[in-house]
Amino acid sequence: MKANTNACSLTDLRPPVPSVFPSVPAYLRYLLRLLTLGWLLAATPALAAPEPAAVQPVRHLPADRASNVTLRKPAPARLREFREQREFQYVAVKSEKSAWDLLMMRFWRWLGELLETPSGKIIWKYGIYAALLAAFIFVVLKLMQVDITRAFGRGTRRAPLSYDVDSEDIHALDFSTLLREAESAGNYRLAVRLGYLEVLKQLTDQGLIRWQPDKTNHDYLYELPPGPLPPAFRELTRQFDFVWYGEHDDLTPTHYAQARATREAFQHLLAAPRRAA
Amino acid sequence: MENTPDSQQDNSPLYTNPSTEPVSPEAATTGDPTEAPAVEPAPTEAFTSRTDLSHLSRHAEAIRQELGKVIVGQQSLAELLLTALLADGHVLLEGVPGVAKTLTAKLLARTLDVPFSRLQFTPDLMPSDVLGTSVFQPNKADFEFRPGPIFASIVLIDEINRAPAKTQSALFEVMEERQVTQDGTRYTVPEPFVVLATQNPIEQEGTYRLPEAQLDRFLFKLNVGYPTVEEEIGILQGHHAGFGGTPLEAVRTVLTANDLRGLREQVRRQHVEPKLLEYIARIVGQTRAHKGLYLGASPRASLALLNGAKALAALRGRDFVTPEDIHYLAAPVLRHRIQLTPEREMEGSTADDIVKQILQQIEVPR
Repeated sequence: MKANTNACSLTDLRPPVPSVFPSVPAYLRYLLRLLTLGWLLAATPALAAPEPAAVQPVRHLPADRASNVTLRKPAPARLREFREQREFQYVAVKSEKSAWDLLMMRFWRWLGELLETPSGKIIWKYGIYAALLAAFIFVVLKLMQVDITRAFGRGTRRAPLSYDVDSEDIHALDFSTLLREAESAGNYRLAVRLGYLEVLKQLTDQGLIRWQPDKTNHDYLYELPPGPLPPAFRELTRQFDFVWYGEHDDLTPTHYAQARATREAFQHLLAAPRRAA
Repeated sequence: MENTPDSQQDNSPLYTNPSTEPVSPEAATTGDPTEAPAVEPAPTEAFTSRTDLSHLSRHAEAIRQELGKVIVGQQSLAELLLTALLADGHVLLEGVPGVAKTLTAKLLARTLDVPFSRLQFTPDLMPSDVLGTSVFQPNKADFEFRPGPIFASIVLIDEINRAPAKTQSALFEVMEERQVTQDGTRYTVPEPFVVLATQNPIEQEGTYRLPEAQLDRFLFKLNVGYPTVEEEIGILQGHHAGFGGTPLEAVRTVLTANDLRGLREQVRRQHVEPKLLEYIARIVGQTRAHKGLYLGASPRASLALLNGAKALAALRGRDFVTPEDIHYLAAPVLRHRIQLTPEREMEGSTADDIVKQILQQIEVPR
């Protein structure tokens, strides 16, 4: 690039200073200015160096060897009292390891030694992979809300009950004997109940219903296959409900005979498909 | 409509019409099921109610018919509302907007010849707006209590969860004790006294969760769901044909306060087998021991289940309670009284799921 030929120096931009002695050369003017400045500094009293203050002589006191000085000592009882305070007992008590700590130390030492062996190293290496894999599977199953406990043969997950449930196993009862006893004792209400339970057992044995203690009579009614059984079971259930839940303790032999006839008719109906098969 | 604990529940197969499909015992004994479709002798005197429930059934049917003039479907909801009415309990209806919660409550109130008032709960509502307040009377130079809208027999509280806990707390005393204490004076609300409250699900904006103490005072919490397609078509047809549906004025009053008092007395005398009392106690007790629950139900829940079951049995034509009644009412009685643990909530379980689990764990007394 070509330099600008019209460029000028900074000195050229300054305004021209009028000179007192325009004819005196420039170096002489500078010398004159220096001399004037030096004279001014020497003549100014404020700029002159201050005079040093007068130094006082040091006075040494005479040593007091005549006064009787009493040495102050704390009372022994007070000292003992201080020593007994916890804040002044600086001896660090060594912490003793408990039996559990010692056991854990031995366990970790044993584990460390075990993992140092060649076979231990292999277990350590693949054990981590197995643990990671198990954790991954667990998280996936949890996210999918899969009940893992069923995989080990357990049924539906049930919370423990805080009380005993007196479950009556209908398969363990000898209905014919119990019915005979109830009828002979005149306990017709119980006889109706036993008869109904016997019907439920027969329905279960034939696979027509799935017996579960938590199911209601209504549930069993819905489980029955379409056909003649549901209306008959409906009436049987109605009678059982009236007698058992309605607390009809005053059931007469005539009424019981009707209830028994209904039950026996249903049992007869129940046996019919089996005979046909 | 998913407003009941058990949508497949048959309301009247066992008791109300026992003489359907009669079959002679002779035909049954032939052993051929094709000849004998069923064994069902006509009900005898021993197997009929000892209490005359015809009066109750007539009134219940009349109310159902009046509700049915306007409401399509919702039979289970109507049955549970009637149950609460007979059991002297308050009802909380929960559902999304537009499923006829308020309309159903208003219609039920119209069928009863008792004082009715309606409260729209808003965020700025004050307790005195509900209960009433003492006003200075210059001519007497004394304060005079001016009763609030709560002093009615049927009180419809719309959108109850729109008001903050302060205003909701004003209902504690009146809902439980049927009285209001103001400036040291006790004022009794009229008999009968039933609160029908509606609310939107708490997930919606601008709502407050009801305090547990207040929730416990409701006999039932009923979830009002969407109608089925058939029901919705019925709604549209009725609306289109009537250019706006049946007016509310068409709904008649069918029950007086005295009638209701008599019916409630009848319900109170219902038989309950001792083992069923134990069954109720076990169900409610299990809510306190269940691992998935943070808060179990109170003894008030046991009483609610008992009273509700007695009323439901009466509505179904029986003078005694069966386990079916308890099963049917377990969810409406318990769902608002229990609280799930955070873990169970995160798993997506609901209170109804837990109630169902509890019912599965306890043997039905038989």
